[in-house]
Amino acid sequence: MRLSLRFLLFLAVCISAQLGLIGAANQRLAASSEAERRIVRSIEILGLSDFCIATDARYVRHLAVSDRLSPFMDHPGSIEHFPTGSFWIPER
Amino acid sequence: MALRYIDRQLNIADYALSGFKRRVARNVVVVFIFALVIFMVASFSLTTTSLKQAAGRLLETVPDITVQKMSAGRQVSLTEDAVDKLENIFGIRSVRPRVWGYYFDENNGANYTVIGHPKLSEKSPLPGLGIDYLPEMQLDTVAENAVIGRGVRQSLELGSRRTFSLFRPDLTLKSFITAGAFGADTSMVTDDLIIMDLQAARDLFGLAPAEITDLLVDVANPLEIDNIADKIGERLQGVRVVTRERIAKTYRVAFGWRSGFGLACLFGAMAAFAIFAWDKATGLTPAQQREVAILKVVGWQTEDVITLRFWESIIISASALGLGYLGAWMHLLFFDGVLFRPVLLGWSVLKPPVSLIPVFSIGDLLIIFSLSVLPYLAATVIPAWHSAAIRPDSVI
Repeated sequence: MRLSLRFLLFLAVCISAQLGLIGAANQRLAASSEAERRIVRSIEILGLSDFCIATDARYVRHLAVSDRLSPFMDHPGSIEHFPTGSFWIPER
Repeated sequence: MALRYIDRQLNIADYALSGFKRRVARNVVVVFIFALVIFMVASFSLTTTSLKQAAGRLLETVPDITVQKMSAGRQVSLTEDAVDKLENIFGIRSVRPRVWGYYFDENNGANYTVIGHPKLSEKSPLPGLGIDYLPEMQLDTVAENAVIGRGVRQSLELGSRRTFSLFRPDLTLKSFITAGAFGADTSMVTDDLIIMDLQAARDLFGLAPAEITDLLVDVANPLEIDNIADKIGERLQGVRVVTRERIAKTYRVAFGWRSGFGLACLFGAMAAFAIFAWDKATGLTPAQQREVAILKVVGWQTEDVITLRFWESIIISASALGLGYLGAWMHLLFFDGVLFRPVLLGWSVLKPPVSLIPVFSIGDLLIIFSLSVLPYLAATVIPAWHSAAIRPDSVI
């Protein structure tokens, strides 16, 4: 087989594998619908406002009910030092 | 005509690939590094898109309006009489006072979120939340019921025990009995929660009997939320009013390239491309110049050599994009984004099992394409023209 066709075949394999992964992700999403229903209900009943992803900094744990100044309130001249703060952008 | 054109292109691609075979080690390294850069950028992009989509799907039942009292820029307690001031605002369906706060466990450095809920004193109080309720238990001492998250249970190292104690501000101990535990499938919002009765939460935090942390306001008509939020701001002095739309907006903008980590990924990618471009722009080796000269002697035109260089760039960038993007999907889907977990969790002692499901978005793919393949092709245009313009008699 000529080299160019082998290369096109390699790209076709990559695209097929990618489509397979997208299908697997959609399947996982569909399978998690019951858990998502419980999460939505928990948020409603308990009045939650945020995801529980990082639990180190309060302003990252509860980003939605925090503000842009919260990271700097520990003391005058305080700087934001939690690593998780680098992943999140506060609302303008 | 079209077939002839395709055949000609395939012939040039064949020649480009046979050239790669001659310099296989160098080209494998280039594709590997290029794929690694795309992997990082794509993993970040998939993670942020996945979080944004999850926020859109799951945070749809957050309270219509959350009212917090502020003093000197910090949140402070409200008193229950604030409920009376709001209840006669037309359009408000209900006002729920709430007590909540953080508990820092000095034994292990973990932070828990404690929420006081008025219904926890009832039997089977919170149905439909995936809580595994345990059989009732009689103790000699007074202990309050508590429902705890998966992470709290692990952090307190309860094992088969059901009782635990937390310190009040005056360092006296308050005992709890685990009435139930949240299932692992709701960990994305419940992992660090300790739910207890409203009075128990007040007692734990040392609050006065009428003190509350915030108010959750339910509005009958969603279109009136902003108007009612304004009215609440007028009736209660010094409060912060957080609407459902503001929470949604926070999560729409919370993840993206403007974050510190996003910029680090982006600058890393740009630095890698700059090195690639510099490598290409510094010119051809004598062996490559001789190769071009020989091709021209045997009849190749300048246009053919440019096409050859174009194919070389396409082969490298398409291979890297295919492998890098595929790797990023596998990273998120099968390994739960393990490389990003240290940044996502940071110094968290309690580590929620964040399981992100990647979501395909053509916009993301185009961004990754334009951040990776297009700059590479652009970086090779001028060197391609330079190499194609070589005069055979000046090299051979």
